[in-house]
Amino acid sequence: MKKILLILCTILACAVSANAKLNVVATLPDFGSLAREIGGDKIDIVTLAKPTEDPHFVDARPSFVVSLRSTDVLIDGGAELEIGWLPPLLQNARNPKIEIGKPGRVQASQGIRLMNVPTNVTRAAGDVHALGNPHFMSDPIIAKAVAQHIAQSFSAVDSANAAVYDANYKKFEAAINAKLQEWGAAMLPFKGQNVVAYHDSWVYFAHRFGVNIDIFLEPKPGIPPSPSHLTEVIAQMKARHIKAIIVEPFHDRRIAEKVANATGAKVVEFSQFPGGLPGTDSYVKLIDTLVSRLAAALK
Amino acid sequence: MFEVMFWPIVACVLLPWLLVYLGLHVVQRGIIFIDIAMAQMASLGICLAVLFHLDLESWTTFAIALGFTLVGAGIFSVTGKRTSQIPQEAVIGISYVVAAAAAVLLLSRAAEGDEEIKNMLVGNILLVTPHEVWERFALFVGVGIFHFILRRNFLLVSFDRDGAYQKGLRVRWWDFLFYAVFGLVVTSFVRIAGVLLVFSYLIVPAVCGINLANRIGNRLLIGWVIALIGGVGGLFLSFWWDLPSGAAIVCTFGALLIFVSIYALIRTRSHAAGSA
Repeated sequence: MKKILLILCTILACAVSANAKLNVVATLPDFGSLAREIGGDKIDIVTLAKPTEDPHFVDARPSFVVSLRSTDVLIDGGAELEIGWLPPLLQNARNPKIEIGKPGRVQASQGIRLMNVPTNVTRAAGDVHALGNPHFMSDPIIAKAVAQHIAQSFSAVDSANAAVYDANYKKFEAAINAKLQEWGAAMLPFKGQNVVAYHDSWVYFAHRFGVNIDIFLEPKPGIPPSPSHLTEVIAQMKARHIKAIIVEPFHDRRIAEKVANATGAKVVEFSQFPGGLPGTDSYVKLIDTLVSRLAAALK
Repeated sequence: MFEVMFWPIVACVLLPWLLVYLGLHVVQRGIIFIDIAMAQMASLGICLAVLFHLDLESWTTFAIALGFTLVGAGIFSVTGKRTSQIPQEAVIGISYVVAAAAAVLLLSRAAEGDEEIKNMLVGNILLVTPHEVWERFALFVGVGIFHFILRRNFLLVSFDRDGAYQKGLRVRWWDFLFYAVFGLVVTSFVRIAGVLLVFSYLIVPAVCGINLANRIGNRLLIGWVIALIGGVGGLFLSFWWDLPSGAAIVCTFGALLIFVSIYALIRTRSHAAGSA
């Protein structure tokens, strides 16, 4: 009977949590993956967006509001990536524990210098984000800083387990530091090479690993490719001997393939999110996969 | 659960009655897709506002959207002639595709972020705010009173067009008035509920009512019951199985219509058997 009640409680998602674990909600799978590294078995994590979903557009479901209502910690990007869908959810959830400024709210971009901050804010240049490019998690060094931020928040909200969170952060930091050498070595032969991407979501990755990703299939962020723009991209790719086009699961792959056919370049499937590509269930494995895929395409 | 689903349920109880009534008109006139065409007209107006960098929440934007809806009302009232080789549904379809395509062209020039625009045009019933519900409720009550006062003429124009012409009504003007008010209602509902849900609320309860009853009062009653069951039931299913709420309601309506149709079929069969 007790068990049934417990199950009922979880199904109906009572505000009273049925266990002693720290409840954590992450808006996007990359934050969720870091939270799992830091929290281990001390937290219950709910990730709102799926790894294959476009982070700009996420369909709200009732469980999103339920999770946000009862969570102790919310991790979001804080750089307007989720602006299309998170604010109304938060408005409905009305959870004081995750208000901005509270220890239960991690805005991952806080303390990070965002790239491509627009000089004017009219947004006439396309779907640019006023605070800068929000796709910062593809840089492992930034990911370390975000992980530390998450560990601090967990410790503040759940001080009994602060030592565990700190130890887990140290472990994550060491893993990234060890890997950075390896990734740098793999990308070194391609330093300064140009790569085309569908959407401008790889500027941090490019900056970290020494490639240039500044030609995009979209004429402006969020605007679908037009014939004249694609013609120009093809001409530039031929002139600069560009060998790879990065697409993500939610982009139109056929457009990338059309351009690849015209230029002899390869289409490389990338994902910003752990779980978005096969065999990438952790952040480190994701960057492993991205680096090896790009290196293979540029060879 | 009620904390999360309270306002969606309130919206599904307080708002659809007017849509069901208008739906009876729309089905009778045989202009099923008029709501989608009207909503698309309004969103074309909003895209134009985007092009001029207007604040999307401002009254100017609302006025432009309303202006485009009135243009749509004008087009549909002029083309709905008494005798015409071209069915009204063709004009509606053409208006829809041209308005949709024009919006794509405008947005490609506007080059503004499309998250807000999509949010502006297509609402999510799960995330309605109390303010949105009350604002629309006030509007719907106003429109409801308007329709109630002028019900004779509106009903005559929709249900007995020949009779309306014989009585010397200025049918074209009544059509325009009907479409203009209709556009206002649809556009305001789309923004909190999305296109799929508006369409379902207009058409499914009306079709169920026509299936089961002949008098307009009975049809309306049946439609209201169906709208209430479909809306609230769909919200419950959406909560229990954690589904997108709008789509859950639409599919509940689909299931209800199947049940009603089967029931109506069995009833006519047994009536036929009884009389034979």
